Amino acid sequence: MVKSKLIEIIIHEERCTGCRICQLICSSIYKNKYSPTEAFIQIVDAYELIPKISFLDGCTHCGQCVNYCLYGALELKEGEE
Amino acid sequence: MNCKLFADRFKPLTDPFSSKNLIIFGTGPLVGTIVPGSSRTVAISKFPATGAVANSCGSMSFAFNLKQAGFDHIIITGKSEKPVYLHISDDHVELSKAKVIWGKDIVETTNFLKKKHGSSGVIAIGQAGEKLVKSSMTLIDKTSTLGRGGLGAIMGSKNLKAILTQGTKGIPIAELKKFNKLYKNLIERIRKYPHRDSWIELGMLRSLPVGMLLTAKGQKKKARQCSDRMYLKKMKKRRIACPSCPMADKDILEIREGEYSGLINYTSSIINPLMMFIVDGLDTYDQAIKAFDLISRYGLDSLTMTALFEFISKMNEIDLLTNEELGFEWKRDYKTFNHLIEITAKREGFGDILADGWKKLAEQNKTFSNEMLTVKGLDVIFEPRFLRLGTMEFEQVVNPKGAHVASGGSPTYVGAGGTLDKMKSHFNRMGIPETAFSRIFDPPKKGMGVNVGRLTRYSEDWYTVLTSLGLCARAQMNRFFSLDLVTDLYNLITGFNLHQEELRLSAERSWNLLKLMNLKEGFSRKDDKFPNGWFKPLKMGENVLKFQDFYGEVIITQDIANELLDDYYDERGWDKQNSYPTISKIKALALEKYF
Ligand code: SF4
Ligand code: SF4
Ligand code: SF4
Repeated sequence: MVKSKLIEIIIHEERCTGCRICQLICSSIYKNKYSPTEAFIQIVDAYELIPKISFLDGCTHCGQCVNYCLYGALELKEGEE
Repeated sequence: MNCKLFADRFKPLTDPFSSKNLIIFGTGPLVGTIVPGSSRTVAISKFPATGAVANSCGSMSFAFNLKQAGFDHIIITGKSEKPVYLHISDDHVELSKAKVIWGKDIVETTNFLKKKHGSSGVIAIGQAGEKLVKSSMTLIDKTSTLGRGGLGAIMGSKNLKAILTQGTKGIPIAELKKFNKLYKNLIERIRKYPHRDSWIELGMLRSLPVGMLLTAKGQKKKARQCSDRMYLKKMKKRRIACPSCPMADKDILEIREGEYSGLINYTSSIINPLMMFIVDGLDTYDQAIKAFDLISRYGLDSLTMTALFEFISKMNEIDLLTNEELGFEWKRDYKTFNHLIEITAKREGFGDILADGWKKLAEQNKTFSNEMLTVKGLDVIFEPRFLRLGTMEFEQVVNPKGAHVASGGSPTYVGAGGTLDKMKSHFNRMGIPETAFSRIFDPPKKGMGVNVGRLTRYSEDWYTVLTSLGLCARAQMNRFFSLDLVTDLYNLITGFNLHQEELRLSAERSWNLLKLMNLKEGFSRKDDKFPNGWFKPLKMGENVLKFQDFYGEVIITQDIANELLDDYYDERGWDKQNSYPTISKIKALALEKYF
């Protein structure tokens, strides 16, 4: 679970399909290209029994990856300021 | 593109196992991006099961990684002295020794390579490929099948055990802002699709309820074992997706109880093991998954193995293939099925004949070929006596590769039982010119509704458009695309300004090029042959099914079948006598060089 001042992103790894849409969105916003390895969200072992999802330094908590994850693996929760 | 690269380099009549045979792996221009379902790998080669030059497609993360590494295609030629695997990581391209993985199955090989090199896309062959079994395939990321008809064996003949791709370069978009707008609209349509949740939950089981098939056979007990509920409770472990896909249908299965408890199997769809379950002789769902897992590990083809099991069982029952000839006692049971898999993968005893494919088997007894449900040496996948004659069933006859599932977006499926208006809107989506509508609605016999022969041409073209862009053609993904939309996506990503007609034309060009290459390999109209068995009734439980048109109004006779073939060639602009593309067609497509 990653907390920030504004938002909290709850991770449900068991729902993740390894589709990498979150990474593609993030890298397109911040790197102007589709480059999963450069995204601020990383999916490790995408096709293993349980994938590992983590956020890297640099993540702005913009929530776009959550918005485009269609499998409910990322969930946005309003945090406290 | 793959077709052209191949045609420019391949010498006709080269033996599939010669070092001079080529394998070209290709990705489409949309691969590596966020376009939904843009992750296809295409492999073209001359295949040993049929002797045809053919394309084969798969998905998962191989092409995605290749593209991220900065490559569009890989051309494999020659032969290595010793077993090797090809490792591509951005600009680093290396053939490495494969001694420790040679002899290992696909799952072991893939796990080993991914552990050694980290996150990657892997195409691997199993023992069947190493032994040059002509029906052997490869698996991408141990999940997606690639290369029905012997790609595994071609890689085996080159001593190439696997290819691993990793890429970190990223892909820039020519018109990012405009593209984002289009993507947002598309993804919202997908998000709102009312059946999306059930697709994700059930995967391909949603499109082909296997239980219904078994019920039709009068096997209620077996049918109950593969209900939706049983799948969710006893088989499904996790849903996985190809990169960029919002309509995931790949399965990780887990057997949770009984003798095989703990078994984990990756598959491109739950339908694969369950289709095996339909055959008489497998009694429980877990036997089917276990046998399927063995087939996958060896790199065999589950459809072909099931068809062989069925065929040998029948021939054995009527004493046309005796236990003496087989070298063991044949029974229609799980144990025998397993034995069949083992001897084929290892080429032991009678398995050596089976490993050389249907054509070799047909040589064993004159009556066999009459009984085999094959086209050009590949077993048919769709049974039209059960499903009726749609474009998918018809396409199996005319596809240069042999019986194959290549006519994606089959309108006879989407319009299933629907009105002709529904079909028309589907035609528009696929970019079928309105001038062709009247011909498509003019079948050889009244009551048939549509002319499947003429329609198949456009199904093939639409499928080729999707494939050449690198897009998934499975129904649940394909339904969101139209020729308009994919042209826009292509233009915004590449910065080109192609008209949709040019895209359609390039698909037609590549299909014709494939045809031309196969004419040089000796194929012609005589090979586009409906299996004799289709014209005989099929007994399914209490039901006797006949070969009917798509609407179930007309019994398809050999004459009608021939007329449909005539119409198909005519719609393609090919000569009806021998199926050669006509000179004017060749000129219109600028293919003179290859004639
Ligand atoms: S977190 Fe969501 S978007 Fe990212 S890979 Fe997993 S399922 Fe796909
Ligand atoms: S919250 Fe924004 S910055 Fe952080 S990983 Fe997601 S898309 Fe990237
Ligand atoms: S629908 Fe299936 S095959 Fe197609 S892209 Fe999605 S996961 Fe892959």
